[in-house]
Amino acid sequence: MADGGDTPDTLRDYLKTEYKKATGGTLTIEEQGWGDALAKLQTALPDADNTPDVTEIGNTWSPTFTNVGAFSDISDMYDELGGDKLLTSFVDVGKVDGKNYALPYYFGSRYVFYRKDLYAAAGVEVPTTLPQLTEIAQKLHNDSTSGFYLGGEDWRNGVSWIFAYGGDLAKQDGDQWKSSLSDPKSIEGLEALQELYTSASNAPVTEADSTPWVNINTQPEAAGPEAATIIAPGWAHWSIGDLAPDPKDDTKQVATWNDEVFGAYVLPGVDGGVAPVFAGGSNIAISASSKNQAGARELMKIIFSKEYQEMLGANGLGPANSDYVSSLGDDQFAKALIESALGSKLTPAAVGWAGVEGSGLLEEFFGKVNAGGDVASLAAEYDKKIDELINKS
Amino acid sequence: MSAPTRTPARARMSSPAPGPRIQPRRTTGVPYVLIVPALIALLLGLGYPLIWQIVTSFQKYGLSQQFGKPPEFVGFDNFANLVWDGEFWAVLVRSLLFCVVTAAVTVVIGVLMAVLMNAVGRTVRLILQISMLFAWAMPVAAATTVFIWLFDRRRGVVNYLLDAIPGVDMNRYDWLGNPLTFFFVASVLIIWMSVPFVSFAIYAGLTQISEEVMEAAQIDGAGAWQRFRRIILPMVRPVLSIVLLLQLIWDLRVFAQITLLKDAGSKSGDFDLLGTYIYKLGTATGDFGMASAVSIVVLLVTLAISWVYVRELIKEDEAQ
Repeated sequence: MADGGDTPDTLRDYLKTEYKKATGGTLTIEEQGWGDALAKLQTALPDADNTPDVTEIGNTWSPTFTNVGAFSDISDMYDELGGDKLLTSFVDVGKVDGKNYALPYYFGSRYVFYRKDLYAAAGVEVPTTLPQLTEIAQKLHNDSTSGFYLGGEDWRNGVSWIFAYGGDLAKQDGDQWKSSLSDPKSIEGLEALQELYTSASNAPVTEADSTPWVNINTQPEAAGPEAATIIAPGWAHWSIGDLAPDPKDDTKQVATWNDEVFGAYVLPGVDGGVAPVFAGGSNIAISASSKNQAGARELMKIIFSKEYQEMLGANGLGPANSDYVSSLGDDQFAKALIESALGSKLTPAAVGWAGVEGSGLLEEFFGKVNAGGDVASLAAEYDKKIDELINKS
Repeated sequence: MSAPTRTPARARMSSPAPGPRIQPRRTTGVPYVLIVPALIALLLGLGYPLIWQIVTSFQKYGLSQQFGKPPEFVGFDNFANLVWDGEFWAVLVRSLLFCVVTAAVTVVIGVLMAVLMNAVGRTVRLILQISMLFAWAMPVAAATTVFIWLFDRRRGVVNYLLDAIPGVDMNRYDWLGNPLTFFFVASVLIIWMSVPFVSFAIYAGLTQISEEVMEAAQIDGAGAWQRFRRIILPMVRPVLSIVLLLQLIWDLRVFAQITLLKDAGSKSGDFDLLGTYIYKLGTATGDFGMASAVSIVVLLVTLAISWVYVRELIKEDEAQ
């Protein structure tokens, strides 16, 4: 099996033990960094000698790999693995012609982390609308502390502004997709994002989806944090808090969440409510070229079992099966995760979407927008570039 | 190859005459047999990927083909697309500029270091050689990481030192944030990594210049610059040419350093050179046909650069 780095070790151990019990075989889990995963999967999956039997795959890449025939048809197992209870939007991106190939593994979501101390000092409240967020971020902002720390090329977070204003990355027309950055609503969202970035973020234009939590923590020997507000995937809360040397290894640091200093809220919508954020998470599928289809199916059963789904939840990863979502708990992080995930949106289920992501065009486009470029003409330019890739497999 | 010790029977019979014996030409197939393994390794190792690449450059070859769908032959379509692709030309020109500047500076610094090594005493030379050996032996990933730290926007020592100069404001200057300074950092890194090779090669050439020639020139009244310009340079010219050629080729297809710097900086295409551009086209977006076409273009450019030199080397050989 191949997975990204987000599955905790206890869960991996559980899978290995259960797999041994069920089949007598040994389960090897090979972790791939998300940066290389796309390239590695392209070359490993078609090759029967090197393919993982079961593979985790970023949800946004699922349409591409499902369409080119990388995965085995598991429609016959669909009901046994959870059926209608499984997260619909994730099931849909793993489907071709009504057959199931990739199923949801876990979902994540993005919400906002902020510094209560800085908010209090500046006399601002947690915003309830998106324009308000820009307003308070500007008040909090100065040369050493970003009001809202956001990288210029960080499209995975930035796209929430397009979604919030009712726009979209691409629209489907028959079986063809068309990039819709030039849609008036998308442009409105991008302009709002541009305003926030240019007036309230010290992050470089060239910074993409990185590790924003280092900026909200007060680093040792620093006068204050680099950011009053950040947006990050829910599991980032493990890395946010007061920093102290790790008692087990003093070359490392541990962050302990401190309710006095740190807080979380969901990204507000344009007129209040919740803004749709980018739905993070993964799908999971059996490689079509795997020689061990039977073993792979056993592993799928273990992954979709009640026990494993609840273990995912307990570790802050949204379980694929809605029956077990309560295992996330009811603390502020679980609440923010569930609330933001409910409204979250996926990237287009287009055949060429993995190619669009791989091309770096979105980073390039968001970077140019946030550098202060003319949104309408940039949108037209990149619509054209993305259209060349989006329907191509 | 040394001459055979055993005279073939046929040769013995046909040349029984006494007098100076002419060594007969060997007619056995042994040398050919001996060369076969090397040839096979070359064909498999270099030929197969090359042929695959040439074939693929004439095909529409995407992810579907990677997963078993038969590819479609499209003639020169991929190349035609490149001709009209502004980004490709931008990357090509950028790469050529980058490789010429980087290779030239590398060779100049390399020659200066070699001259220095030749001029200083044994201990200093040893220190120089050992430190350069370390720089040369440093793995690319480690060296690049260190450079990323040195030029880090917030905690980098480069910004810290520059900012300490009165009147210079380099606090939080983002070196990797715009293409010009990005390629400056990349160039410095690559020069740092390649100077040792150049200076060792040139130094080896310098040691071949006889003391007598230099002494004679000095007695005839040639100054240091004249000796360097008129004697040293012409004498190490063959080494210089080949080293410059190698640097040009290496710097044209530079990949690892640019990828790692891009990971720390921008994903934007403005920061691509040919290597990362091909990777992006092929592995990242799954268009292996176009990626192969660009690779073929790079191969042709490399051959063109090399050809100028190879021709010159042949000319020099003939002149001697």
